[in-house]
Amino acid sequence: MASPLFLLAPPRSYTSLMNAMLGQHPQAFGLPELCLFNVEILRQLWIRNSDEMGGDARTRHGVLRAVAEIYAGEQTMQAVRMAQHWCAARQNHSVASVYQELVAKIDPLVAVEKSPSYTVDVKRMRAIYRAFPDARFLHLTRHPVGQCKSVMSLYEGTFALSVNSIEFQADRAVVEPQYAWHDCNINILNFLDSVPPEQQMRVRGEDMMSDPPEHLGRICRWLGLRHDAEAIEQMMHPERSPFACFGPLDALFGNDPNFLSGPTFRPHKVKVPPLDRPVPWREDGQGLKPEVVELAREFGY
Amino acid sequence: MSELGEGRKEGNRPKIGPIDGDPVSTHPDLEKLSPFQRGLREALLREFKARKAKKFVEKQVRYINANRQVAEEIKILFDENGQPPANAPMEDIIAERRQLEYQVKWFEAMTIELQTRLLRIREIEALALDLLERSPEG
Repeated sequence: MASPLFLLAPPRSYTSLMNAMLGQHPQAFGLPELCLFNVEILRQLWIRNSDEMGGDARTRHGVLRAVAEIYAGEQTMQAVRMAQHWCAARQNHSVASVYQELVAKIDPLVAVEKSPSYTVDVKRMRAIYRAFPDARFLHLTRHPVGQCKSVMSLYEGTFALSVNSIEFQADRAVVEPQYAWHDCNINILNFLDSVPPEQQMRVRGEDMMSDPPEHLGRICRWLGLRHDAEAIEQMMHPERSPFACFGPLDALFGNDPNFLSGPTFRPHKVKVPPLDRPVPWREDGQGLKPEVVELAREFGY
Repeated sequence: MSELGEGRKEGNRPKIGPIDGDPVSTHPDLEKLSPFQRGLREALLREFKARKAKKFVEKQVRYINANRQVAEEIKILFDENGQPPANAPMEDIIAERRQLEYQVKWFEAMTIELQTRLLRIREIEALALDLLERSPEG
């Protein structure tokens, strides 16, 4: 069975685009955000776990769309209903065995997945590694200012708030997304310390955006996949992925809504902001925390 | 720190977030926070939910307005006696004609879909009746 590839990064780090691009490789299968390793038993994905932040039904859309596509070859409401039955039949299975079943079904294609929620807790990444000891891990980084700005622009910074990325001031608490940027990346680094070097790679998202053929080729060589011009050309079309659009009404998401509305890739040079300026999401003119600056420098920013 | 494959150990670089615990559940570890900070956190969550609800309502209002707009647009074709007004601008008439054509196409598509469903259910009904007639108890 082909070992899967997991993209590890906090949300809004080019993960959707990268996942869809790599998934378009002729020897790969790009999955939507399955979020399976957020829980231990499949049915737990159906249990609401937060009253603080509202509904979390979207976390199930990825697995429903994936099952519909893999087993029914289409993503219609009927196929999603079948996927719900498929999941119900496995409700007491461990997510590891469910995931292994999906990977076996698409074998020999290499499963490619990213669920940014895996990076909020080392336990989740550890569970992936236990289920797939030969898996490859691609650590995708993005400049903290770009990533945090993007997080704050999506649903009022829901992600940052959901992971308690909060700063306490004298008379109020404010959402401060750089804690999440730092701690998610620290979780990834701590986890990757336990993974052999040949099973991991780090790529800066900004570099990928400016010269994708070069970096996609490098990743393919590392994965042992074809890296000829035709394979690279296929990967330049993430919009061709069956998951690069909204799903049927009962499983609309399974990915970043911005990506779902515009999945086409246009190479561009990303302007990398300085690390020592006030950050745009703060009203008090403060900048990045020293720990964030230090980690960003470690990533080459 | 835990140990995984080939004796390699997980790192222990420190995190900087002010709250520990399972980050996306209802059970973040708030022990390190003072009661005042907990209050501030709750206020922040309340504010977030209120903003979310406000945005939702704004969106719904936009839809309602869109429906009203359609009604307003149709009004130009008719006066209080149900007759077209003498001075309707040409642009409005063309726009209205296009809108009506679009709606007609939409209703036609709906009709075709409903007729297909009707046909299918009639076939099922006929088959069921046929089976009932042929059964020995029938």
